[in-house]
Amino acid sequence: MKVGVNELSFSFGKKTVLNNISFEVGEGEFLGLMGPNGSGKTTLLRCLMNYLNPKSGEILVDYRPLSDLSAVEVAKTFAVVPQSSATDFTFSAYDIVMMGRIPHMESRLAGAGRDDSLAVRTAMERTNTWQFAGRQFSALSGGERQRVIIARALAQQPKALLLDEPTVYLDISGQIEIMDLVRKLNTETGMTVIAVLHDVNLAARYCDRIALLNNGMLETIGKPSEVITPENVQSVYGVDVVIRKDPFTDAVYVLPSLHGAPVHVHGTRVHVLSGGGTGGPVMKALHDWGFSISTGVLNVLDTDFESAKDLRIPIVPEIPFAQISDDSHSRNLKMIDESEAVVVTRFPVGPGNLRNLEAAIHAIALKKRVFLLAPPEEKDYDFVGGRAKSLVERLLGSGAVQVRYIEDLQSALKGVGKR
Amino acid sequence: MNWLRIMSPKPVAPEKGWDKDFQRMRRQRILILGVLPIILACVGFIAVFIGTTGPIGPGDPVRISWGEALDALLHRHGNWPADYHAIFWSVRIPRVLLAGLTGAALACAGTAMQAVFRNPMADPYIVGVSSGASLGAVVAGLSSLATVAVIGSIITPLLAFVSALATVFVVYWLGTVRGRVYVDTLLLSGVAVAAFLGAIVSFLIYFARQEYHRIIFWLLGSLSLATWTAVGVMAFCVVIGVVCIFLYSRDLNALLLGEETAHNLGTDPEFLKTLMLVMAAVMTSAAVAFTGVIGFVGLIIPHMVRLIVGADHRILVPAATVTGAIFLIIADSLARTVIAPNELPVGIITALCGGPFFLYLLRRSRTRGEPA
Repeated sequence: MKVGVNELSFSFGKKTVLNNISFEVGEGEFLGLMGPNGSGKTTLLRCLMNYLNPKSGEILVDYRPLSDLSAVEVAKTFAVVPQSSATDFTFSAYDIVMMGRIPHMESRLAGAGRDDSLAVRTAMERTNTWQFAGRQFSALSGGERQRVIIARALAQQPKALLLDEPTVYLDISGQIEIMDLVRKLNTETGMTVIAVLHDVNLAARYCDRIALLNNGMLETIGKPSEVITPENVQSVYGVDVVIRKDPFTDAVYVLPSLHGAPVHVHGTRVHVLSGGGTGGPVMKALHDWGFSISTGVLNVLDTDFESAKDLRIPIVPEIPFAQISDDSHSRNLKMIDESEAVVVTRFPVGPGNLRNLEAAIHAIALKKRVFLLAPPEEKDYDFVGGRAKSLVERLLGSGAVQVRYIEDLQSALKGVGKR
Repeated sequence: MNWLRIMSPKPVAPEKGWDKDFQRMRRQRILILGVLPIILACVGFIAVFIGTTGPIGPGDPVRISWGEALDALLHRHGNWPADYHAIFWSVRIPRVLLAGLTGAALACAGTAMQAVFRNPMADPYIVGVSSGASLGAVVAGLSSLATVAVIGSIITPLLAFVSALATVFVVYWLGTVRGRVYVDTLLLSGVAVAAFLGAIVSFLIYFARQEYHRIIFWLLGSLSLATWTAVGVMAFCVVIGVVCIFLYSRDLNALLLGEETAHNLGTDPEFLKTLMLVMAAVMTSAAVAFTGVIGFVGLIIPHMVRLIVGADHRILVPAATVTGAIFLIIADSLARTVIAPNELPVGIITALCGGPFFLYLLRRSRTRGEPA
């Protein structure tokens, strides 16, 4: 079923909640509605279910205005799964799902017919709730309860499912359980799904498209990877984030940004020699302690390269999987010369990055303080037939200080800046 | 959109008798609905014979046999005291009927209020009915109007009824914003208005010491002023109220899942809330006008019956209504016999019996791990 929203506006008294919103949802599409608290997501959903009447504009259901539909027709078109359906009253799960049949019953005193019991049974099997049909609804776990509510929505036999933050009160297993179920219903039956979602990562993972609302206006709508960008998140939520891609599904996910402003910047320059993911925590710690950092040489695509980029620190880059070139090496040495101390992590050393260790030897020669992190456990880092090991021993023999934990670096580096 | 695929996840039809548990549950509940009216009839019949004169009652000189009592009831020839027929027809029967109707009204209104407020602690007085009616009754009692014969017996219930409905209207108006009834606002408005009117009632009672006893007796609730007029008016209100609430029992079920869900199931929660409030207010106001403020029935009967038959209002509404009637008839029979020849206000009995029994049920359901 297609849903069209056409220049929709809504206000509570004088406060405008939705301002001129237009978009379309295609047949069988899974659309996520996102936005900060108070951006109008839930209000939009309530307009769609005809619970609130828009001030202007219209909603079209398969090209028919929603306002032309009777209450029962709307009930057979949209089924709603609210945030939570806690009730203090004693209903069995079966009773709750049977309520979904209300719009299908002819008279208000009619009992459940064969069609009704069959629809309830089918809906409960689809949502894997049939096995506790006879149990008290209020005695079920949060995830089970939400599945029963989804079963109730299915028993309504709607053309589209509207969900209002269906996972907000659930733990992570419940969240995934519910989202998997909704996605499955969406793909297997072709039912259109429109869901208000709070969790950016869940939304990006499950939705076909995301509509991002901000202050009652539609900021943007599109594929998750188009909508969830650092710029959009910054402008709508006002936070810095880092966007990554799930290697298995290509779904984007969001992490809080690493480069929060340090408490106190003193500007002592420290150069970090790392690679293969060993440098991230060190760089983050040094950044938080207020050091100004540089790093090199890192291959583009190396995890540490990404971390350094997120922290926005100067990097000497190298082509992916290539050996450190003479040019990069000399730029690295120049950066070392400009800094006051060098931190060397226990990165795996291969023929490609052996020169980073040689750079550390050079730093000693330049009378820089060199700190060598101890490996967390006896792990082989030498992939160059002992040459890395001997370089490390040479380092330690010529005045480099071994530091056990990253936290110890702070005190070890204390005297450095003052000279 | 392929409904066939939703409707048949497995191509096979469900095994035979898959819904027999639900059918059995249904039959059990219907059985309860069949049994309750029989109990009501028996209790009502026996209650008519309880009293200082008759086959059952506290130690008192006038003791006659069942046969003689039946003769008197039907005005047949026999060995019964001369005024006994009149005692039946102008005192006992209207009193038992009024007790039954009042109990039914309070229990049914309580059930509706608990659904509207989605709170099992709501009662029929939650929107200020009792304080409004009390004010009306106290004003009537203090004005010279009450001393005039004929009008006097009508004026108190009439004023109580009118001021109870007026109070509900004010509370409803306070709880409604732009055509939408906000139940939490309604609840708080009810509490505030009740406190305000309660203060006025206390103030009036304080300056009317000679009337003090009569007013307190009324405030505690009593069925001693039962008349056929009262029975007629109550019956009218109860029939309309109960039928109306019963017709919307399915919508009440939906409302318990929240207004948004109720709306999504094709019902109209705004209309439903208003209708339920009006019906509950009419029944409760009439009950309070004739019998005073009888506490506890409207709170515990729906709750107690829900523990037994479940929360489905299609069964709960009739079951609670009949149980309320049974309960108040028994309570009133006790009220007029325990300290005979004097009478206790029935409100004291309902609270004394209802409280512990209710606590017993509550504990039992809690220790079984069921929600109340």
